[in-house]
Amino acid sequence: MFALALRSLRKRPARCTATLLSAFLGAAIIMTFQSMHDTAGRPGVDRVSAESLSTAASVVGGYGTLLVFFAVASTLTVNVRQRRSEMELLRCSGATPAQIGRMVVGEAVVIALVGAVLAIGPAMLGGRALLGVFQDSGQVARSVDYSFGPVALMSGIGITVLAAAGAAFLAVRRATRRSVPRRGARRLLAYGALALGAVAVCSTFAFSARDAALMAPPAYGAILLSVGCALVSPKLLTTVLDRLPLPGASGWFAVRNLRRRAAELSAVLMPLILFTCVATATLYMQAVENDAIDASGLPKSVDAKNLETLNLVVVGIIVVFACVMLVNSLYAATTYRAGEFGRQRLAGATPGQVLAAVGVESVVLTVTGVFFGTLAGLAGILPFTLVRSDTPLPGRGPGIWLGVVAVAALVTVGTSLLTARHAVRAPAVEAVTLAA
Amino acid sequence: MFHRARRTNDPGPAAEALRLVKVGKSYGTGAGAVTALDGVTLGLARGTFTAVMGPSGSGKSTLLQCAAGLERPDSGIVRVDGAEMTGGGEAELTRFRRSRIGFVFQQYNLLPTLTVAQNTILPLKLAGRRVDRARVREVLTAVGLGDRLGHLPDQLSGGQRQRVAIARALVTEPRVIFADEPTGALDTRSARDVLVLLREAVRVHGRTVVMVTHDPVAASYADSVVFLADGRLAGELHAPTVDAVAERLAHLGDDVLLEV
Repeated sequence: MFALALRSLRKRPARCTATLLSAFLGAAIIMTFQSMHDTAGRPGVDRVSAESLSTAASVVGGYGTLLVFFAVASTLTVNVRQRRSEMELLRCSGATPAQIGRMVVGEAVVIALVGAVLAIGPAMLGGRALLGVFQDSGQVARSVDYSFGPVALMSGIGITVLAAAGAAFLAVRRATRRSVPRRGARRLLAYGALALGAVAVCSTFAFSARDAALMAPPAYGAILLSVGCALVSPKLLTTVLDRLPLPGASGWFAVRNLRRRAAELSAVLMPLILFTCVATATLYMQAVENDAIDASGLPKSVDAKNLETLNLVVVGIIVVFACVMLVNSLYAATTYRAGEFGRQRLAGATPGQVLAAVGVESVVLTVTGVFFGTLAGLAGILPFTLVRSDTPLPGRGPGIWLGVVAVAALVTVGTSLLTARHAVRAPAVEAVTLAA
Repeated sequence: MFHRARRTNDPGPAAEALRLVKVGKSYGTGAGAVTALDGVTLGLARGTFTAVMGPSGSGKSTLLQCAAGLERPDSGIVRVDGAEMTGGGEAELTRFRRSRIGFVFQQYNLLPTLTVAQNTILPLKLAGRRVDRARVREVLTAVGLGDRLGHLPDQLSGGQRQRVAIARALVTEPRVIFADEPTGALDTRSARDVLVLLREAVRVHGRTVVMVTHDPVAASYADSVVFLADGRLAGELHAPTVDAVAERLAHLGDDVLLEV
């Protein structure tokens, strides 16, 4: 089975690009930050510098592992879904589910290894740059030299490979076990996330304005709320769509299409909502924090600076991964629909009408995602601002939010339209037979 | 409603529904090039039901796709309902197709996210024409699906899906309906229903139907059969019977062998 895995990788390298990219990015980020552990462990590093470095490495290390897992899982789920016919063929030729599982997991491990090895070079450069940032802001002494050692290497490769293997195992188990989706579990998860998020957000009020950990509860609460929103959003989307009279044949078609596919769309809505929420919440909270420190007239402490750097880094990582996940699931979903586009055209749709329908669909998706993401983000921002500065609204205008929305819209609409345009270029009859 | 609208801006159907003049089409280039159609000239009168038959690789599907404007021929002229299919963009070609041509495919090609009724009115919606609900219901009842308007395609049997496809092809009142192996994926009984519906479209509604098939039984429902071998016309049979078609098909192979 492992030989088969290698063979299918060699014959179809393009199919794994998304998985390779997320493994590469994940490994690069993990190694960049874990090399701070190596740097901190060098002899002659003072205590404050070592602590700054270790904190950054630990926080981002945890986040990074989760994100690599989710990103690789998302790309692999798509990959496995696209290969359903190949797996069906293997099953009919006598492969047991365990054998198919070994093939997919084997592939994923090979891709993760390749991604991790490729990431070593960029991670060294990134680590050096990161240390420079810490030194420039005075969090780490100038005398500290950069080191890329065993901690970075082992954890980077180890975490990436383990995350990929685990994600592949789950993806293939879901595909080969032909069980009905458990509605109840999903709903339970959604309500659980919403309830926990609400508790976390409310617990912000239990902290005092000066608490160093003040930002943690609303931030985690907002993330949990956005996950809960993402889980219930397909249902809400269906309700909204029932009352949405869009003009034109493309609008009519897009609404009907979205309503039927609402359940599948959570794969796209999840990263979109998460992205909007995390980016908005973290950036506004940091802005409020900065304003409050400025207002107090005191110079920024090293801890406050550490927090700021970490916040920005975490936002950056989440933004990059959410974008990769979003682009990947949109690309896959749209490519998967090449046959459907062909059928639309055989029914008399011009390529322009097909693209217009895709455009309407992605605009509706963007609006839904941004709406729920903003809602969850606000749930975190408002309590934080209220406790930190005694006013409910941040002093900053909607500029940050507009920027976040612009990125979300650009990625969602752009990916859908570009992929659909590529799919529409093939003759309709061919597109239909390829998908059949 | 659109009966009247159509008559006011349309001179009415031409006597010849389909005309191909020296249509040629080949795939690939250089030594690997395959000639699928080799100068086919063919005319079909309005209100006829024609089957196109031939061995695998004889070019029958290519013929249908070129005639229906799904493929562009390398050379020759295609005229549907008196209007010549010219070059131009895919959008222009689509508008040409949807105003004159209906399709029925072996794989049904219904949209899985739309109900039976929505699938049927889709071509009208796309063309921006008015949807006459009563007429849609009438067409769907005529194909025996009057009680399944709200079903999704995957809740239907193969035969029922193909009947939705026929309703969809009929509802725009096209001049020519092209059917590519419409019974290829169906059991005998469903196939018979589909063929009777296609024949009714010709006899009752005055449509012109061109059907590609490899099945002599299906071909026997047509008024005439056109045989194709190696991308060229290889004879015609009027008022075909199953036995006559099967015999002719068997000898098509002989002719090809003799030529070599």
